[in-house]
Amino acid sequence: MEYWEICGWFSWITPIIGAMLIPLLSKIGSKIRDHGAVLFSLLSMIMTLYLISLMFDRSIQWPLYSSYDWIIVPHAPILSKIKVGILIDPLSIIMANIVAIISFLIMVYSLGYMHGDPSLTRYWFFMNLFIGNMLLLVLSDNLFQMLFGWEGVGLCSYALIGFWYRDSKKDWLKCWVGEGEEAYPPSHCGLKAFLVTRFGDVVMLVGAFILLSIIGTLNFVEMSHIHLHSENIPLILLGFILLFFGPIGKSAQIPLLEWIPDAMAGPTTVSALIHAATMVKAGVFLTARIFPIVYLWSKTIPELSLFFTFVTWIGTLTAIIAALQAVVSTELKKVLAYSTMSQLGYMMMALGTGGVSDEYIIGYTGGIFHLMSHAMFKASLFLAAGSVLHTVGSRFLRHFGGLRKNMPYTFILMSVAALSLMGAPFISIGFWSKDMVLEAALISRQYIVFIIGVVTAFLTTFYTIRMISLTFLGKKSSFIIEREREGHYLHESPKIMLIPIAILVAGTLVFGVTGFYIKDLLEEIFHETMLPIHSYGKGETNTDILITTLSSIVAFSLGILAGYIVFIVRKISSEDVINRIKIIKDIRYILYRRLFLNKLYYIIVNNIISFSKKLLSSLELGIIDHINYFIAELFKKLSVKLLFNLEIGIIDHINYVIAELFKGVSKAIRYIHTGLLNYNIIGIILGMLLLLILLLSL
Amino acid sequence: MEVSDNGYMLIQTIFIPIVFSIIILVVGKRLKEKTGWLTAIPLIYISLLLCYININIPYWNILIARYRWSEIFGDFILIADGLSSPIALTIALLGTVISIYSIYYMKHEERLELYFALYLLYTSGMIGTVLSMNLVAFFIFFEFMLLPSWVLIGIWGTGRKELIAFKYFMFTEIGALSLLIGIATLYSFTGTLNILEIGKLSANIDISILLPTAIALLLGFFIKMAIVPLHTWLPDAHAEAPTPISALLSPAMIGIGGYASIRIIYTAIPKLTYLWEFMTGLSILALITMVYGGLMAIAQDDIKRLLAYSSISQMGYMLFGISSMSSIGISGSALLYVSHGLAKAVLFMVAGILMHEFHTRKISELRGLARVFPLTTTTALIGFLSLSGVPPFLGFWSEIFIFAGSMYTAIHDGLDIVKMIITSLAIILSVFTAGYGLWTIKRLFYGEPSEKILKVKGEPLIAVIPLLILSLFTVILGIYPTPLIVNFMNTLYKLFS
Repeated sequence: MEYWEICGWFSWITPIIGAMLIPLLSKIGSKIRDHGAVLFSLLSMIMTLYLISLMFDRSIQWPLYSSYDWIIVPHAPILSKIKVGILIDPLSIIMANIVAIISFLIMVYSLGYMHGDPSLTRYWFFMNLFIGNMLLLVLSDNLFQMLFGWEGVGLCSYALIGFWYRDSKKDWLKCWVGEGEEAYPPSHCGLKAFLVTRFGDVVMLVGAFILLSIIGTLNFVEMSHIHLHSENIPLILLGFILLFFGPIGKSAQIPLLEWIPDAMAGPTTVSALIHAATMVKAGVFLTARIFPIVYLWSKTIPELSLFFTFVTWIGTLTAIIAALQAVVSTELKKVLAYSTMSQLGYMMMALGTGGVSDEYIIGYTGGIFHLMSHAMFKASLFLAAGSVLHTVGSRFLRHFGGLRKNMPYTFILMSVAALSLMGAPFISIGFWSKDMVLEAALISRQYIVFIIGVVTAFLTTFYTIRMISLTFLGKKSSFIIEREREGHYLHESPKIMLIPIAILVAGTLVFGVTGFYIKDLLEEIFHETMLPIHSYGKGETNTDILITTLSSIVAFSLGILAGYIVFIVRKISSEDVINRIKIIKDIRYILYRRLFLNKLYYIIVNNIISFSKKLLSSLELGIIDHINYFIAELFKKLSVKLLFNLEIGIIDHINYVIAELFKGVSKAIRYIHTGLLNYNIIGIILGMLLLLILLLSL
Repeated sequence: MEVSDNGYMLIQTIFIPIVFSIIILVVGKRLKEKTGWLTAIPLIYISLLLCYININIPYWNILIARYRWSEIFGDFILIADGLSSPIALTIALLGTVISIYSIYYMKHEERLELYFALYLLYTSGMIGTVLSMNLVAFFIFFEFMLLPSWVLIGIWGTGRKELIAFKYFMFTEIGALSLLIGIATLYSFTGTLNILEIGKLSANIDISILLPTAIALLLGFFIKMAIVPLHTWLPDAHAEAPTPISALLSPAMIGIGGYASIRIIYTAIPKLTYLWEFMTGLSILALITMVYGGLMAIAQDDIKRLLAYSSISQMGYMLFGISSMSSIGISGSALLYVSHGLAKAVLFMVAGILMHEFHTRKISELRGLARVFPLTTTTALIGFLSLSGVPPFLGFWSEIFIFAGSMYTAIHDGLDIVKMIITSLAIILSVFTAGYGLWTIKRLFYGEPSEKILKVKGEPLIAVIPLLILSLFTVILGIYPTPLIVNFMNTLYKLFS
C-alpha cells in the first residue's frame, strides 16, 4: 500500500474509530476524553496534509484511486458490484484539507467554548463521527458510498443542532432561534434540518436511480470513461436535475434553504464547522464532482448544458435572496447563516456558468476557490461570533453594542475576516475568489447573472458593516449595561479560543495577498487534471478582467459608503427611513418573514398532519372500520332472521306440519276400528272378494 | 443442485420448540416469568442451526428434507434456500430476543407457563410456514400460526382484547379460506402439491384460470400483510396485543405474507410476472398502502397504533418490491423483511418499556425521556432511522434495492412512463417515514421531562439488552449486507432470467 492510500483511507477511518472510543475514554477521565477527541482530528489532519504534496508531483497520473469489493450482488443487471473506494484528485485533496484543517482548529476552539457542558461525551462523539463521515463523503469514488457519508453528516448535523435537546426556556437567549411566531427550540430545529435535507435526498435518489438505469454505474471513475450516445436525452437531463436536488437541500439553495437559519440553535462550533465550512459545501462538492462528467457529455449532447443553466439560476437567485434576508436579520448568527447561503449561491453560480461556456476552467476553479476562501473566513467569523455570544449571553444584535472596548482582539479578528466576506480589494482572499466567480459569469455572457452577482456583492458589504457596527461600535446596549451591573464583567475570550480564529484570519490575509498567484496556480492544476479536454475558447480577455475588477471595487465601495452612513456615523437612521417610506417598510417585513417560504414549509407540514387526522377519523375509523362492523352486524342480523324465518319458521314448522298430517291421517283411519262384529265380517268378505278379483285378473 | 438434509436439521427447527412447549407447560408454573430463560434455550439452539445453514447455503444451493407423508398430499418437504433461510433465521433471532424481553414485560401476569408454551408454538408455526414446500403443509402451518397468536391476544391483551382477538381471527381465517380455494384449484389442475413442481407445470395452464387462482391466493396473503383496504384488523391487533407479541406479530408474521407471495406466486405461477397490468396494479396498491399507512401513523397519539400503521406502510414497501418485476426489487423486499423485522421489534420493545414504566401509551403524556433512558433513546433512534432508509443501517439497502430495481425495470427496455412515475412518487413519499419517525422521537425523548418521569429508577437492563443486540445487527448488516444479499439474489434471479 502506498502512502497516499494509507493516508486516504485512514483520514476518514480514524475519526470514526475515535468517535467509538470516546465513550470509553470518558469513563477514564474527562480531560483524557477531551484531548483524545482533539487528537483524532489532529491525526486526520496530518494525513490529509500529506496529500497536498501530491498535487505538486508532476509525474502522477490523475486520478488516483483504490477500491475493494464491498457488496456483491450475484446475477444482478445493475448494482452487481458496489465497491468501497477512495478517489484522490486535486478536488478531493483540497476539499479534504479544508475539512480536516478547519475541523481541527474548531475542535481546539471547542475545548474553550464547550468547557463545562455536562454532555461533552455526546458532543465529541458526534463531532468526530462528523469529521469521519465528511471525509468519507469527500474521498468516495462512487455515489453509494458517498451516500453513507452524505447521510452520516446529516445525522450528525441533526444530533448536534439538537444538542441541547432539553429545550429549556432558561436557554432562550442561548440556543433557541427566532422570536414571536417563529421561535423554535433546538430539537425542533434538528428535526427540521433533517427532514428538509431528507426531502432533497429522496429526490436525489430518484435522479440517481434514473441515471443508474441508463448509465449502468454510479462510480465516478467509470462514468468518466463512458461515451454516451444520444438515446434517452430528456431522461438523462431529468436524472441530473433531480440528482441536483440533493445539493439543493444540503447546500441550502432555493427552495430548500430555510433549515439553515434555524440550524443556528446548535452550539456555535457546530454552526461554524457544519453549517459554514464543511457540510453545506457537500452539495457544491458533489456538483463539482459530476461537473467534468456532465460537461464532457454536453459537448456531444448539447441539451445537457441545460443542467448547468439550472444550477446557475438556482445559485444566483439564492445568492441575492439570502443576501437580502441577511440585511434585515436581528440575530448575529442568523446574519452569518444567510450570508453562508448567499455565498454558496455564488459557488453554484460559478460552477453553473462554467458549465455553459467554453471557458469552463474559470467557473470551475472559481467555484472551488470560493469554497476554500469562504470556508476560511466564514469559519473565523462564526468562531468570533461564538466568542461574542458566549461573553454577552444573548443572541440578538440589539443586545450588543460597543463591544470593541471589552473584546478588542475579537473585534480586530472579526473585522479582518469580514474584509474577506466583503471582498476588500487585493488584500483579502475573498476578493480574489469572488472576482473569479463574477468573471466566470461575465465570460459566459450571462449578463443578468453577472449584474445580480455584483448587486449581491454590494448587499454583502452592506450587511457585513451592519453586523460589525451593531456588535462592536456605538454605545453599549441596555442589556449589556444591566449585565455589568449584575456583576458579569464582559471580558475577552481565553487564548485557546482566540488562537484558532487568528490562524484562520491569518490564512485569509496570506492567501489574500498572494491571491493572484493562488488563483492562477489552482487554474493550472485543475486544467491539467480534471478534464481530458482543454478550453476551446479564447481565454479571458483583458476587458473582462477589467470590467470584473472594477465592478467588484465599485460594489465594495458603495457598500462601505452606504454602511458607513447608516451604521457607523449613523447620519441616517435606518429606522427612520424604514418607518417613513411605506414600501421599504413592507419590503423589510417580507424579508424579515423570510419571504414566507418558511411559513410555507409549516403550512405544508401542518396540512399533511391535519389531513391525516381527518382521514383517520373519516375514512379509517368512520368508513372502513365501520364497514367491518357493519358486515359483522349484517351477518348477525341475517342469521337471526334466518333462524326465525327459515329454521324455526319454516323448516321446523314443516316438521310439525308433517307430524300433524300423519296424526290427522291416522286419526281419520281410526274410524275403521268400530268394534262391531258385523262390520268386521263384512270387511273380511269384501277383502277376500277383492283379492279373488285381483288374482283372477292377473 | 441440492443437498439432502440427512442431519434432520430442518425438522428440528420446527419440532424442538413444540416439544419444549410441552415441557414448559409442566415446569413453567413454578418458574413464573423466569420461564423466559427456559424458552430462550430451544430458540437459541435453532437460531444457531439456522445460522449454520445460512452460512452454507451459498455452497449447498438448496437444503431439502423430504419425508414420505401421504398418498393424497404428497411428500412432506422442507426447503431451506437463499430465500427462506435468512427469513427463518430472522424469525428465530427475533423469537429468542423477545422471549428474554418477555421476562421483563410479563412480570406480573398470570399463567405464564401457558404464555411461553403458546409463544414457542407460535414461533415454530412461523418457521414451519417459511420452510414448507408442500402446499398443504404450508396451509397447516399457516393456521398453526394463527391459533396461538389468537389465544395470546385474547388472554394477555389490553382493551377489548377478546373482541379484537376474534376480529383478528376472523380476518385471517377468511384469508386462509381464500388461500385454500387457490390451493385446491392449483391441485386440481396440476395434480401435485409440491410448489416447485407446480411451478414447472403451471406454464401449461391457461392464464384465465391462473389469474383468479392467483388472486384468491393473494387475497389470503394480503390480508396477512395488511394491505389497504384489507388492513383494519392490524391496528387493533398490534395495539392491544401484549407488547412482546406485538413485537413478533408486526415484523415477523405479517412479513410472511410477503414471503409467501414471493414463494407461491413467483415460484408456483411464474407466468404471472409477465402480466404488466396486473403487476402495475399491484404496485399502485403498494403505493397506496405505503402512503396511507404513513398518513395514519402521522395522525396517531397512541405509540403502539402508530407503530402498527408504520408496519402497514412498510408492508406497502414490501409489496412494491414484489411487484417491481425485477429480481433486485424482490431481493429488496426480502431484505426489507429482515430490516423491518429488526427495527420494528426494537421499536415495539421500546414502546413496551415506556408503557411498563410510565403506564401510558399516549405520546402526548410523555416527554424528555432521553434524560432518563439514554440507551433506549439511541436504539429507538436507530430503529426509526433504519425504517426511513438512512445509512449506515440495513433499511437503507432494502430501500435502495426495491427502488433501484423498480426504476431499472421502468427505464431499461424502453421507457415505461407509468412505472417510472409510480416509482418516483414512492421514493419521494418515503420522506413520510422519516417524518413520523423522527417527530415521534422528538415528542417522546426530547424536551423537558416532568417530575413523574424523573422519578423512575433507571433503564431496565434486561429489556435494553435485546434492544442493543438487534440494533447492533442493524448496524453491522447495514455496513455489510452482502451475506444476505448473496443468498437472496442467488435464489431470486432465476425468476427473471
